Amino acid sequence: MSESLEPRASETRAPAPPAPEPRFFNRELSWLEFNQRVLDEANNEALPLLERLKFLAITASNLDEFVMVRVGGLKLLSERGSTQPDQAGYSPSQQLELIGQRLRKMVAAQYATFLEDIEPGLAEAGVQRLTIDALNDRQTRAVAQTFENDVYSILSPIAVSQAEDFPLLPNQTVNLCVRLKGEADDDSPRMAVIPLGEIVSRFVTVPSDGGYAYVLIEDVIHSHAERLFEQETILECVPFRLTRNADVTLREDLAGDLMADMQDVLQARRRGDCIRLEIPEQTSEETTNFLIETLEILPGDAQRVPGPIDLSAWFGLTRLTGFDHLKERDWAPQQPPSIDPTVPMFEAIAAGDVLLFHPYDSFEPVVRFIEEAADDPDVVAIKQTLYRTSRKSPIVDALRRAAGKGKYVTAVVELKARFDEQRNIDWARRLETEGVHVVYGVKGLKTHAKTCLVVRREPHGMQRYVHFGTGNYNELTSRIYSDVSYLTMREDFASDAVSFFNAITGYSQPMQYRRIAAAPMSLRDRALELIDTEAKNAADGRTSRIDVKINSLVDKELIEALYRASQLGVEIRLNVRGICCLRPGVPGLSDRITVTSIVDRFLEHARIFHFHHGGARKVFISSADWMPRNLDRRVELLVPVEDEQAKRKLLHFMDVFFQDDVKARVLQPDGSYVSRAAERSADAPGIRSQEIFWHETVEAVRQAERSRRTMYQPHQRTES
Amino acid sequence: MNPSLPSPRVAEPPIDGEAPKLAAVIDIGTTAIRMAIGEHRAGGSIRILERLVQAVSLGKDTFRKGVIEKSTIEECVRVLGSFRKKLDEYQIPPDAVRAVGTSAVREAMNRLAFLDRIYVATGIEVDPLDEAEVSRITYHGVRPQILAEPELQGAHTLVVEVGGGNTEVLLMQDGDIEASHSYRMGSLRLQYSLETMQTPQHRVRDYLRSQIRRTIQLIRQEIPIQDPLRIVALGGDMRFAASALECTPHASGLTPVPTRRLSTLANQIVSLSPEEVVHRYHISFQDTETLGPALLSYATLAQAFELDHVLVTSVNLREGLLREVAGEDAWTEDFRRQVINSAMELGRRYEIDFAHATHVADLSSRLFRELQPLHRLSSRYELILHLAALLHEVGLYVSSRSYHKHTLYLLRSSELFGLSQQDMGLVGMVARYHRRSSPMPSHDTYWNLPRERRTAVSKLAAMMRVALALDESRSQRISAFSCERRGGRLILATPDVEDLSLEQMAMKHNVSLFEEVFGMQVFLRRSVKSVIAPRGHE
Repeated sequence: MSESLEPRASETRAPAPPAPEPRFFNRELSWLEFNQRVLDEANNEALPLLERLKFLAITASNLDEFVMVRVGGLKLLSERGSTQPDQAGYSPSQQLELIGQRLRKMVAAQYATFLEDIEPGLAEAGVQRLTIDALNDRQTRAVAQTFENDVYSILSPIAVSQAEDFPLLPNQTVNLCVRLKGEADDDSPRMAVIPLGEIVSRFVTVPSDGGYAYVLIEDVIHSHAERLFEQETILECVPFRLTRNADVTLREDLAGDLMADMQDVLQARRRGDCIRLEIPEQTSEETTNFLIETLEILPGDAQRVPGPIDLSAWFGLTRLTGFDHLKERDWAPQQPPSIDPTVPMFEAIAAGDVLLFHPYDSFEPVVRFIEEAADDPDVVAIKQTLYRTSRKSPIVDALRRAAGKGKYVTAVVELKARFDEQRNIDWARRLETEGVHVVYGVKGLKTHAKTCLVVRREPHGMQRYVHFGTGNYNELTSRIYSDVSYLTMREDFASDAVSFFNAITGYSQPMQYRRIAAAPMSLRDRALELIDTEAKNAADGRTSRIDVKINSLVDKELIEALYRASQLGVEIRLNVRGICCLRPGVPGLSDRITVTSIVDRFLEHARIFHFHHGGARKVFISSADWMPRNLDRRVELLVPVEDEQAKRKLLHFMDVFFQDDVKARVLQPDGSYVSRAAERSADAPGIRSQEIFWHETVEAVRQAERSRRTMYQPHQRTES
Repeated sequence: MNPSLPSPRVAEPPIDGEAPKLAAVIDIGTTAIRMAIGEHRAGGSIRILERLVQAVSLGKDTFRKGVIEKSTIEECVRVLGSFRKKLDEYQIPPDAVRAVGTSAVREAMNRLAFLDRIYVATGIEVDPLDEAEVSRITYHGVRPQILAEPELQGAHTLVVEVGGGNTEVLLMQDGDIEASHSYRMGSLRLQYSLETMQTPQHRVRDYLRSQIRRTIQLIRQEIPIQDPLRIVALGGDMRFAASALECTPHASGLTPVPTRRLSTLANQIVSLSPEEVVHRYHISFQDTETLGPALLSYATLAQAFELDHVLVTSVNLREGLLREVAGEDAWTEDFRRQVINSAMELGRRYEIDFAHATHVADLSSRLFRELQPLHRLSSRYELILHLAALLHEVGLYVSSRSYHKHTLYLLRSSELFGLSQQDMGLVGMVARYHRRSSPMPSHDTYWNLPRERRTAVSKLAAMMRVALALDESRSQRISAFSCERRGGRLILATPDVEDLSLEQMAMKHNVSLFEEVFGMQVFLRRSVKSVIAPRGHE
């Protein structure tokens, strides 16, 4: 990690929570600390440069969403005059103030990393951003040509003489603001805006003698601006980007037609109030003030940056081909050796529960499960939740195909999946026209549970196969998110899945489940019950332990339960990737609780729980984080894993996560995070959990291949 | 849920490799419409595939206003429409679906309009279920558990279900029925009487208790205390209590719930608002309406009989119905025996000639079986005939003049365990036609029967008249006979008696109905060579 960087993760302290009861961290500040941990990876010199660039781009896009949603929401609250404090004791306006301070520091750190570290390093390695002045003749000609051929015709500058003329610019796109010299006698300048939208690429490749060179589109346009404003004097041409408040959500209780009203929400989001303006720091005061006034933002919401705006765009550059030495070796998902690709998934599941750990294990068996169900003549029905999925989802295709073949296909499509609404509306419509019974989620709740149920007519009766997951049905994100899949045909689980679908599709009132627990009805209670059991066992002097792996821990009730358990003597290990409002290691409050966070190449996304339970060792997977929204306002599942082998696997994963001393950072009682690597002696090899999982998976595949090679396998005629 | 048991990986393997049969049962209850879809396996086990519940306020309408409101009817149509889709999904044929309505449907004045509307809108034929059928199905479900429960060996057991509208009570000993009764006390009725009386909240418990005690008094009158006595409770409310109190089931499948804890729970629930109950116990609003009064009823009953616990069964009506729909014969030999026991009780009350009655009943049954190819009636009708023969002379208790008519109305207003009113009507009718006039279009009760049942009555009465002729002597001297169909004639031959002139004369007098119905003359003669022993089941 670079010494020169300001501020370092371990030095960024969340402000001391207010007295008298500092029991919780503020969730926004905790989230910002998470983003800092991602930024720390961008600063990690042990990583190749394009990898670091990727982490940097992620921090930028993370911040975009954070500002849009969280800051947006707080602004609305604050404007409405709410002084309701959060569980850490801050009012909305206090939170905005603290967030503002932290954000400014973070943005400064992002640009320091980019301008002083990554960009010079990349240039040295042959990936160069050139300014217009630095172009040679050949490059200048190339840029001119690009402008004439590809750019000029699609630009439409708009003169803005008063605020009403200002065009409705899409959220978080780069645009240009041009200041023109006034008419002869009038020295007040005239302003124009050039919207770029999403049609032009931010990066314009220019010929180079080796390596890769590019110019930014705003520089290209600036240098040719006279073509757009002929016979005008251009005083200034600067890029800017605005962020709108996206905390516009649907009042479902008032929604008649969800689909139509959702479209309105999307429309509203496009017009949401501007809450952040990004501009280069050298922008003139005149232009800055013009933008602040016309966009009606507070001066503090203008973010002046010392380099190019919108670093998230550099994510595109990380996919550059031919610079493999600047990237990490690909850890491609493996076909799990326990699953024979030539054997139907139904048979594989019938032979025993299947537990997959993505992305080490490929998501392909899950996709295949649904595809085979679609094509299998004995399958009667397929029921499936869909929250976010890919653009050309093979799963959506399979569902359409199944419906076309006369199967009863039900898709519970969550239209309210934030920022995926439009995509979900689109394919929900497509599914409907193909005869799929589409249910738009549950009124008042987001359906976040990930499960798929296949009903198949078999000689000895109806057989039900179920997939439960911690991640979305998205074969693309399954390559970068670490998630668990559990496939089973156990009667109780199947029956629970049937009841679950009957409940969320309105066929039946919710029933008591046999094995699983579901939010918002019973998940929180089950979790509390499990925690309390450990507490009771500890109080009785019996062995107790709680291991939790989740993305966010915010829920006050569950945190209090964990505090109680710690006080009664339960050893509690939490692996919380993102927000954690629990204060660990506070004497008398949380002595026995440790919190670690892992930020590495794959996004930690699986939710896994382990409770000692008097030796019974209960293990669960879940779609839910421990946040009030997940427990109270979403449809989520908590699924026990009972198969011994699957259970052992999950327990092993948990152990490795908690042993990580390369990528794990430990949450301190004051809210800061300290890298475990710092505690390790320099020559010790260290345990990097993701790398271990990858090696284990590859090794298992290799073993399987080796044992296959020792035997001849004759081709056998498959029965048709 | 019992957390200590691991979930079985797969459903039970099939027996004999025979494909399980899918069937569905829809139960239109007082607070909800429920559907169960199940597989009936060759071994007789039922595997439930789906359970659906949707709340409706039928009980509220019927018990408060006497009629089902239009909006409620439409709500039922919507629910059944969605259930219909499920049936289509599983491709369950109409003959494997049984839809029944319990007291809220049965007692509604606009019952027919309701049933018709449902049929028109959804194609589902709902059949109002009467108390007797409910107790028959209950009996089937609960009997194996009672027999398996050591605590109930030799004990008198009261099987009780407090429903929304009525309370059904069966008194059993060692698996045999001793009495069955139905009382107009139901959890919803209680709830609504609270509202009508505008009982203040602090008086609710006392008021409910006094109402419940009144019914318990009735029960105690009809069921004189017999020591030792046990209670087996049925129904969702008690299953909820057993699970909320985390009681552990016995190996028999019955779960003991301590009376004191039950009473505490009942008091707690009665004192909470519905919102609090929903929040605390995660049940639906509709369920809250019945839960408090139902639990209080069971607790009060257990206290009245000084029991320290009641046993809760997991058996429910829908699973019993599913078995029947899937083709399992509900009228098992054991069930027949229970019904016949109950008929004997009735006969005793009317002081019938037992020797004659049971003999004619046996002869009738034997004829029924011998003549199966002729009448082609299902075995259910054998029981109807048997009962009619057993009870054909109850009318003599009133008067010997036209006593067959007294028999008809006495039987129609009597209850036999497990027999629906419809079946009881058939018994009465068959008994009524054992003498004198053949059935005629001018006999309204006869003529109003659907054709299938009408012809069954004629066939059964015709056979009974033949049986009666065989015991014309009232001395049971003929018990063995053979039947032979030759051309258009039925020849009965018996080795038992030398001089058959008495019986032959009676036969001549009695067979006109037989000839009308079967188009066959009947002759009785002495068998020439071999003695043909009575034939049992084939």
